[in-house]
Amino acid sequence: MVTEKKKKTINRLQSMYPLRANIDEMYKRVVEASKVGKPTAWCMVNWWEADPILKAMDIELVYPENYGAVCAAVGTAQTYLSRSDADGFPTHMCGYARNCFGYAARMKELGEIPPEAPLGGMAKPVLLVSSGALCDARYKWFQALGRYVEAPVWTMELPHPGVVESQKEGAYEGAIAFMVKELREFIEFLEKLLGKKMDWDKLAEMTDDLVKVNRVWFEINELRKARPSPMNSRDFWSCMNASLYPSGDPKVSLKLYQDMYNEVKSRVDNHIGAVENEKYRLAFAELPPWHDLKIFDELAERGWNFVVESWAYHPPKPIDTSQVSDPLRRIAMHTYQWLTGYFQDALAPREYMGYFAFPYLEWARTYQCDGALLHPLLTCRTATNHLMLVQDRLLNKLKVPSLVAEGDIVDLKLFNHADTMKKAVIFEEIMDHYKQARREAGFEW
Amino acid sequence: MAVAVSKGLARVKEIYQDRPRRVKELKAQGKKVIGYQCVYPTLEMLTAFDLVPYRILGDMQEPITKADACLPTVVCPFIRSCLDLGLKGRYDFLDGVVFSHVCDVGEKTAHIWRIYLSPAYCHFIDVPHTTHKAALEQLKEQLKEFRKTLEELTGKKLNEAKFREAIEAHNRQRALVQALYELRKPDPPLITGTETIQVLMALMSLPVEEGTQLLEEVLAEVKERKPPAKKMARVLLWGSIIDNVALVEMIESLDANIVIDDTCVGTRAYFGHVARTDDPLDGLVDYYLVQIKCPRTFRETNTGALKKDYYTDLENRFGYLKEYAEQWHANGVILQSMKYCDIHGYEVPSMKDYLDHVGLPNVYLEHDYNKSALAPLRTRVQAFLEVIG
Repeated sequence: MVTEKKKKTINRLQSMYPLRANIDEMYKRVVEASKVGKPTAWCMVNWWEADPILKAMDIELVYPENYGAVCAAVGTAQTYLSRSDADGFPTHMCGYARNCFGYAARMKELGEIPPEAPLGGMAKPVLLVSSGALCDARYKWFQALGRYVEAPVWTMELPHPGVVESQKEGAYEGAIAFMVKELREFIEFLEKLLGKKMDWDKLAEMTDDLVKVNRVWFEINELRKARPSPMNSRDFWSCMNASLYPSGDPKVSLKLYQDMYNEVKSRVDNHIGAVENEKYRLAFAELPPWHDLKIFDELAERGWNFVVESWAYHPPKPIDTSQVSDPLRRIAMHTYQWLTGYFQDALAPREYMGYFAFPYLEWARTYQCDGALLHPLLTCRTATNHLMLVQDRLLNKLKVPSLVAEGDIVDLKLFNHADTMKKAVIFEEIMDHYKQARREAGFEW
Repeated sequence: MAVAVSKGLARVKEIYQDRPRRVKELKAQGKKVIGYQCVYPTLEMLTAFDLVPYRILGDMQEPITKADACLPTVVCPFIRSCLDLGLKGRYDFLDGVVFSHVCDVGEKTAHIWRIYLSPAYCHFIDVPHTTHKAALEQLKEQLKEFRKTLEELTGKKLNEAKFREAIEAHNRQRALVQALYELRKPDPPLITGTETIQVLMALMSLPVEEGTQLLEEVLAEVKERKPPAKKMARVLLWGSIIDNVALVEMIESLDANIVIDDTCVGTRAYFGHVARTDDPLDGLVDYYLVQIKCPRTFRETNTGALKKDYYTDLENRFGYLKEYAEQWHANGVILQSMKYCDIHGYEVPSMKDYLDHVGLPNVYLEHDYNKSALAPLRTRVQAFLEVIG
């Protein structure tokens, strides 16, 4: 019997593969570095606030949030989740955190990286860098890791102004000044911890590289506004890591992102879409079910192209910081821009959730979305808090409907693939209805 | 004929059953009432501007219906309940609201509240997460911004003398609450955990001076009481907010007294003291960010140390609970948290490690802020009390 090889429905970017491989190498690279005595830090995503500083201090970085996604994707996570549950962590807490507790518990028990750990595992840290940005789990988790890991914790501060408060006179300068002071305290802490001084030239170079990486990555995502959209969320999720988890040499990531830009631009110029016969253009919110990424392929078979996704994982809207000589101020401006870059636009329409929610409104319009797939995470408040608001705003302001499919980033038991696909079929009729409604209301798409 | 005005605990119960009644009367007399969420907004500042602070709380007996449309079910049910009441008009009497960055859900709900309820005055205080030097300075800047908005609201500048008086007034109230807790040290305690919650919720519903006067009446009344019958267990209650007597009543209906707590309608809101500082804001910053013991604030032990010793860290974070247990002679600890409360949830295994380490028997209960769902917990509490009794 001749079996016909099924054609992949998402036209994956070829430039994605080396970028992804470089990311996956992170774990082995850090384990090897650790073996020769280089210090390792486990880091929360900190949106480039701590990363350049740590890298300039020659600390190797691994990101347990990313590792949670890796464990979910390869199926190891369930073992770690069970261990976390057995150790008394409530089951409704962050899947990434619970995965990490299970991993760390095993590591403590064995005195080494657990043999089942995918991609070589996470090397033992000398430092945990948590973050006050966006969610409580991302600093409480590392505090709770003290059960298993003897490393000290530093929690990075990041101001979280309200939209109204952020636009008041002096608010911007105040926030930047706070961040710069905080970064100086952080550097003092690191110098004491490592017994060495900061290399300021290296820090300036690292900062410059990361800003460049994010600018190219931003431009790639801008190209996705084209019809048909040249890049699907599937590729976004594979490649965001080099920006969000900037382990390794940022110059390598920059080159790989530039290659990706060229490929995406070529597709735009030649009207090549990521999905053949793009029928529906969608936004995806928030994090995907890492254990079930094939759902993007199945939806692509129906002509669904996910053209944009969650604000939190996108790079900031570029600002020119090239004239800023103090690298700490430059870091602060870059990270703060990521957090508040949409606030000014959000103020006039009184969309006070300037991050998380408002960007969807802007993107649904500029990326011309027909619908949104909202993925409330049963173990993540941060990725879920705003989704009812998003659903309401998209429908009532832009006549863009949403499909809600509850699930989880790590725990596959919490996501119902079959049910989501059934709902998706029905949702197409709703998208068709609202496409007509938008036209009648004078919208551009 | 003059209407008899109730006093002491009788008045406390009336206020507990109808919290907004008194502030609505004050509003009718021309006072402005400002709602606040959690314990981080600076009450002293509101008082100094002649504004009446009124704590926004939930109602665990009221099914959440309207909030479903704008806040998902997998977030803190207490905060969902607060928003639900707001959407149902139960906070319409407020002249404004002040929120703070207490936790992730609290922060996001502040923005959602602003969108859906359009309060005439609304301010968000971005409380930092740590006690780093930069964070303390940042909170001070935040309080200056808060002051500016209140000056705009009231049309008057902050009077420093009144500000200092307000700080003293709130300190006096905190000291009297601490005196009330002293009456829980004898065995049996002179005031129950149930009554204590009612008292504290009444205080959170009144202007500070009026609350203090009521508190003085309560203290006098309780001191005159004949001691009730002794019970087997003396319990320390830790965890997320308790703004309804149901859980405490359930525990105290068994052979136990809650003699001390670590919750935010409890010691967390009243066991500090604002120091007199040259700039009053410095004392407030220390009180709100350093002294309040909510796990939402990250505290690291021995910053800069090469290694962290787990039990040293636990002692730094939870040592005050051992002191509470010793001073109030608690022989067991009930840890409780609402489902989906991350900041408390992450504490649980470490907290249990610490309590085991110092020899304090403990049990963890999780609930969903629903009175009718408390029944299954009764059996667990009963079993725990038998173990420690």
